[in-house]
Amino acid sequence: MGSVNDQPHYRFPPASAYRLNRCLFALKSDDGFRARFLKDARAAMGELGLDAADAAALLRGDRDALLARGAHPYLVFMADLRLRMEREPVSFEFF
Amino acid sequence: MLVGAFACAHTPQLLARPGTEDRDLVLRVHAAFARVKRRLEALRVDALAIVAGDHVEAFFLDAVPALAVYVGSECAGTFGRYRYRFPIHEPLARSIVEQGVERGFDLFYTQQAPLDYAFYVPLHFTMPEPAVPIVPLHVNVYLPPQPTPRRCYEWGRALGEILRARPERVAFMASGGMSHFPGTDRYASPEFEYDRRLLDALKDGRGRELAAVTGEELDKMGNIELRTWATLLGALGDAKADVYCYEPSWHHGNAVVEWVP
Repeated sequence: MGSVNDQPHYRFPPASAYRLNRCLFALKSDDGFRARFLKDARAAMGELGLDAADAAALLRGDRDALLARGAHPYLVFMADLRLRMEREPVSFEFF
Repeated sequence: MLVGAFACAHTPQLLARPGTEDRDLVLRVHAAFARVKRRLEALRVDALAIVAGDHVEAFFLDAVPALAVYVGSECAGTFGRYRYRFPIHEPLARSIVEQGVERGFDLFYTQQAPLDYAFYVPLHFTMPEPAVPIVPLHVNVYLPPQPTPRRCYEWGRALGEILRARPERVAFMASGGMSHFPGTDRYASPEFEYDRRLLDALKDGRGRELAAVTGEELDKMGNIELRTWATLLGALGDAKADVYCYEPSWHHGNAVVEWVP
């Protein structure tokens, strides 16, 4: 799964994936957007104009599909982590 | 003048440790950070220039600078529950951006961009007491095409000259590395042997070898962030590394290193 061996791990983010990456960026870094997404994901994705295929991949949490659609791996990783932290608070030791 | 040089991991699990992380390993890296803090205090630094790769926090696809300098009066950011703010050494920041441009580097500058956790994690653990102002320097590592390691090294060489000519006692720190692959199917299998070979070269004072590495190799080895180290090494020439620690976790090669410039 994931990247094909001869492909770089981090690729140029295609313009076709701008809105998808914008949404992942907001899930990672915008607390307000993340809260709206958790309340009503479809409405939140609608704010950013995601198309149906992007929205479906994001709702499924399907990393490989997201990467295939041009999502940046780091954004997928951190957006997913921040959502999981909200849904099922993990216990951390804070330093 | 340039009085100290360091490279520090910024793995976020060192700051907020979930149960997946080996606590003893985390504490060993903290001990290495504490050594850096004591060194910065002994060096009586007036300012800390820190080069890190923004993790798509300040710079999204709307504007992607290759090299940027924070030149505001202060900078701030958040990471989870952490809220942080640092004064910027304005005269030093301004001289870096002005002299950098004079030397042929077409720098992006910002007086307001958020400060990523890649800057914060090392500062959280190593900021000397009393605290000193900083100059954050960004190098693009996550949004291809990134600057080549050679370009980073050349920028670092210019930075070294600029810092050495300043009246302040400045320490230069690179944040990031070593091998890790966030968001990919390689996350649990970094290239630790590559890291160890590189650290051996740095102990021998062969830092300029990093300038000759390709961006493709850095990507393959999970070491895209070593562009920050290449920048630092450009300022250091053939100085030999003192490796405080190299602690490979299940997903990340954590190193803390000092050079005497």
